[in-house]
Amino acid sequence: MGQPAAKLSVSVPGELAEAVRKRVGAKGLSGFVARALAHELEREGVGALLSELEEQLGTPSKADLARARKAWPKR
Amino acid sequence: MAEALILDSEAVNALAQPTARRVLAERASTILRVAHNKRALIRVPAPVLAEVSRGVRHDSAINHLLNNPGVRVVDLDRVAAQQAGQMLARLKLSSAHAIDAFVVAIALQFDTAVIATGDPDDIRRLAAPFPKIGVFAL
Repeated sequence: MGQPAAKLSVSVPGELAEAVRKRVGAKGLSGFVARALAHELEREGVGALLSELEEQLGTPSKADLARARKAWPKR
Repeated sequence: MAEALILDSEAVNALAQPTARRVLAERASTILRVAHNKRALIRVPAPVLAEVSRGVRHDSAINHLLNNPGVRVVDLDRVAAQQAGQMLARLKLSSAHAIDAFVVAIALQFDTAVIATGDPDDIRRLAAPFPKIGVFAL
């Protein structure tokens, strides 16, 4: 069972609102915004974790980053 | 369903206790940095918690990591559990490898995924038929 929905009133630039409505339609707007907000909160959390880790361990080298990028499969 | 970095048990332990496991943590934080730059989700399969939860003192570091809003646990559902069983059967592996198979089955829920693991050989064998899964050895 999902949690009860809360209503938010937000203001966004007109062009952005138009692009989102075009992309998901009026009915899909709440779901789209909810996913975007959740993803942004997650990204902030990972950003904070990375800051903590890099404070303790230092910044990864370019060679290490290149090796890690190679692990990613092509889409 | 987006891209994801899947953290296996060594990756969770290393990120939870970076100074105690420095070399592994450096590698884990490197793949985490790449995942963040790619806007990938960071996920821990729930069965991994059975390998990393070992008592109150140890678990506080694990819980600190898991309480980060960007590191989310994915529950094992029926589909993934049955897929894992089929993977084990295909490779004639015993259920001693069940958690590795659960990790791969949960990775399959995403468009593409990289599994960060300290056990790359077994994970690579299980993930071999699935080109959308990459393996990053810690």
